[in-house]
Amino acid sequence: MRIWWREIDRVLLALVLILMVIGTAAVAAASPASARRLSTSDTTLPDLFFYWAHLRWQLLGLAVMIGASMLSRCAARRLGIVLAGAMIALLVLVPFIGTEVNGARRWINLGVGFQPSEFLKPAFAIALAWILSWQLKDRNLPVMWVISGLMGVVGGLLMMQPNLGDTMLFAGVWFVMLLLSGVSLSLIGVLSAAGAAALTATYFLYDNARHRIDDFLGGGTAFDQVDLAERTLLAGGWTGSGFWLGVRKMNLPEAHTDYIFSVIGEEFGLIVCAIIVILYLAIIFRVLTRLVDEEDLFTVLAAAGLAAQVGGQAFINMLVNLQLFPSKGMTLPLVSYGGSSTIAVCLGVGLLLAITRRNPFLRRDTPGLGALMTRRSASGGPRT
Amino acid sequence: MTSMTYSTAISSGRAQLVDFRQRTLAVARLRVLLVAAMFVVIALAAVARIGFLGLSDRTTRTTSLEEALLPSRGEITDRNGVPLARAFPAYALWFNPEALGDTGSPLVQDAASVAAQLKQIFPEMDEADVAARLASGKAGYLRRRVLPEQANKVQALGELALEMPKENDRHYPQGTMAAHVLGYVAADGKGRVGMEQVLDDQLSDPARRATPSALSIDMRAQGALEDELRRGMLSTNAMGAAGIVLDVDTGEVLALASLPEFDPNRIDADGEKYMFNRVTNQVYELGSTFKPLTVAAAIDAGVVRDFGKRYNAHPVKVGRFSLKDSHFLGDTLNVPETLIHSSNTVTARIADELGPERMRRVMMDLGMNDRPAIELPARGFPIWPGEKWPRLRNMTVSYGHGIAVTPLHLASAYAAMVNGGIFRPATMHRIKPGEAPRGTRVFKSSTSSRMRQLLRMIAVYGTGRNADAPGFRVGGKTGSAEKPGAGGYRRSSLVSTFAAAFPMDRPRYVIIAMLDEPKGTTASSFQRTAAWNAAPIVGRLVPRIGPILGVRPDDTRDVDMSDLEPLVGGGA
Repeated sequence: MRIWWREIDRVLLALVLILMVIGTAAVAAASPASARRLSTSDTTLPDLFFYWAHLRWQLLGLAVMIGASMLSRCAARRLGIVLAGAMIALLVLVPFIGTEVNGARRWINLGVGFQPSEFLKPAFAIALAWILSWQLKDRNLPVMWVISGLMGVVGGLLMMQPNLGDTMLFAGVWFVMLLLSGVSLSLIGVLSAAGAAALTATYFLYDNARHRIDDFLGGGTAFDQVDLAERTLLAGGWTGSGFWLGVRKMNLPEAHTDYIFSVIGEEFGLIVCAIIVILYLAIIFRVLTRLVDEEDLFTVLAAAGLAAQVGGQAFINMLVNLQLFPSKGMTLPLVSYGGSSTIAVCLGVGLLLAITRRNPFLRRDTPGLGALMTRRSASGGPRT
Repeated sequence: MTSMTYSTAISSGRAQLVDFRQRTLAVARLRVLLVAAMFVVIALAAVARIGFLGLSDRTTRTTSLEEALLPSRGEITDRNGVPLARAFPAYALWFNPEALGDTGSPLVQDAASVAAQLKQIFPEMDEADVAARLASGKAGYLRRRVLPEQANKVQALGELALEMPKENDRHYPQGTMAAHVLGYVAADGKGRVGMEQVLDDQLSDPARRATPSALSIDMRAQGALEDELRRGMLSTNAMGAAGIVLDVDTGEVLALASLPEFDPNRIDADGEKYMFNRVTNQVYELGSTFKPLTVAAAIDAGVVRDFGKRYNAHPVKVGRFSLKDSHFLGDTLNVPETLIHSSNTVTARIADELGPERMRRVMMDLGMNDRPAIELPARGFPIWPGEKWPRLRNMTVSYGHGIAVTPLHLASAYAAMVNGGIFRPATMHRIKPGEAPRGTRVFKSSTSSRMRQLLRMIAVYGTGRNADAPGFRVGGKTGSAEKPGAGGYRRSSLVSTFAAAFPMDRPRYVIIAMLDEPKGTTASSFQRTAAWNAAPIVGRLVPRIGPILGVRPDDTRDVDMSDLEPLVGGGA
């Protein structure tokens, strides 16, 4: 335990815990809105129903996170690989044994309902990093093709649900991995163009996506989700209306999950919203800047992938709330209410903490940022 | 630790592989920074968007608790904080024919039975009209101002097409009282007529509407004034009545009434008709009530020095005109007798001695040549004789003819006459103690003291006896002016006024009571003159408002009239 405390990235842990505390407060604020919305004539949910449920999930998630962060890097990698395999298998099964919620078949009911795609997210980054690190043993292995194939399989399975948001997120992680693994920049450009083309294709192929993008571009109808979210976000001004004093949130669907950022905007104000944006950026930055003096390729790739996955999901959610991005069914990691998704995000952060563990007494002889920049032009001779 | 993964992968091309590994790592490290930069760009975009949204005008739709507790329009209170006008969150009844969708009948039941049920909830509703409007299928208000319990009953009808939007209404809890002072709020949310119009900016400003606006009105005095005026008006079959109670030292209007009144809670055609304010907007020839002003001007100028001096009381001939008294008052009269018996001829002779120039100067100092000084929007412009007064005009003005002013003009002039000689503009705002305007001096203090004696003598010995409320030391002057009609003055239609002040030993308040075209009835002993109809109003009003306004009846006090009483054959 003392070793864990010394090796762990305590700044990262603190940032994550701050966000989780904000999440606790935000779900408490959003809980009455969703509880009243989801109450039926038969069952009345108490106002704080989602708050207490969220607190339970958060405690469980915290345990998972601490547990995962105690794994050695090796064990974390193994867990990720096994989890990825299992989740892809379950994802294949989803069309057959899954349950349908809101017109999308994403859930598997194993006592409690959970989405395999949620747990695949952290595992996917680790698996890709592992595959990419094969090339260090034999540089002739076609690792690029392997991970692209894997991405194709996962993407295909997700689009069958359909789940465009998660597909984009996985594609983003895959893209970051490709970028880091040294693919030439011209290929990156080609891939970006292909991504844009693929998005255009989905626009024409998927009704749901088309409607949401149409709404985004055309302003939509008054009182649709996006408009309600914006009204809620702005209702509190800079400093917010005060805890539990918001009124707009009551009209907002999915106040405790997808649109919790707007609820925070109403009750705690736009300044707090900006602080949350900066907290996510700080997490990403903390992880990525520490990777600059990292020796192990797998660590670099896996940590960057996990950070991109958490950060990507967070920013997509926030940009949807800020009306900079078409509406996606995506939660705000570490803040939103969620059962399996909270656990999955905590697992991802736990794995990230495990992978970025580092002996504080071992100072490696690594090039600093400045050296790295100058080396770009140099021949890059071996330094062993 | 790092070597753990790769330690087994020792091959022949190891050196080459190590080189490759270093290069890959270097590229990865560098591109990590690229990824970080991408996230920075996205985060900056998000923060910029937050700033943009925060600065856009859409954030003005804030719902702060403070805002919610603010009244939609500021409250108006009287000087003691009694609410006169307040914001009233009410419901309206709106017919929305599209509530059940586009197809089919907008109502579940038929229009006639819905109208009948509404009639039961709102008894004064026009059932046939409502039924026709429900049947027509056009959206519209069925009714404004629905009380919560009525709203519940309408809800119980189960007609979705009957919607009850919340609306901010204006409520005047005192009903018609002080209607002309307050005015009303029109459908566009703007104040009309009275202080609602004057204070419109202040009442609707979010920063200031939280604090009630206090008027100078005292609701108790207002109620008493309206009550007594109405009684006087009804008992004499008068066309209308007007009255005002003015604080002589500050210019605050404590009560202001114009009858018939309107109900600001319910503006209809009748209400529109009666919105006209007789106190501030209508100008009258106020007749003999001007005589004390003439005498005061003459005393002030030193024209009248000897109160025992006797003046010729026979008709005055000016050119082809002859100024007469209403009846023969004697061959000669001294100044106190002139006022007590209200002699036109002697007043005209005194004014003649004073001269038109000095007379005109005093009238201008009393503000008779301009609209009355008050905040109310409806203020009448006097009929003012202009620059050069001929001798005849000077004489008629001296007893209140040939000049027409509002009752408020007269009240302010009387206040200056009895308060020590200082003229102050009248105001509808409450003035804090010690903050009264300094005013301008019109009469000498000694003149004012004389006028107190003379006015008191009129109420004790003269035409004002009916106004002499025991113990309140009332002083005042009657005025019964014939209204000008086609082809000269009409003897039958009078404006009878009583201009009073009390208590005369230290005057605090001026009261004007005016009746427009009173008839001779049993109640006024078949008389139409002010002594019989306007003076009794003051006589009944003073005991009602005196104690409220801090004047107690006291038989042991009075203004000292002992030097003048022998001149009128009264007293010792």
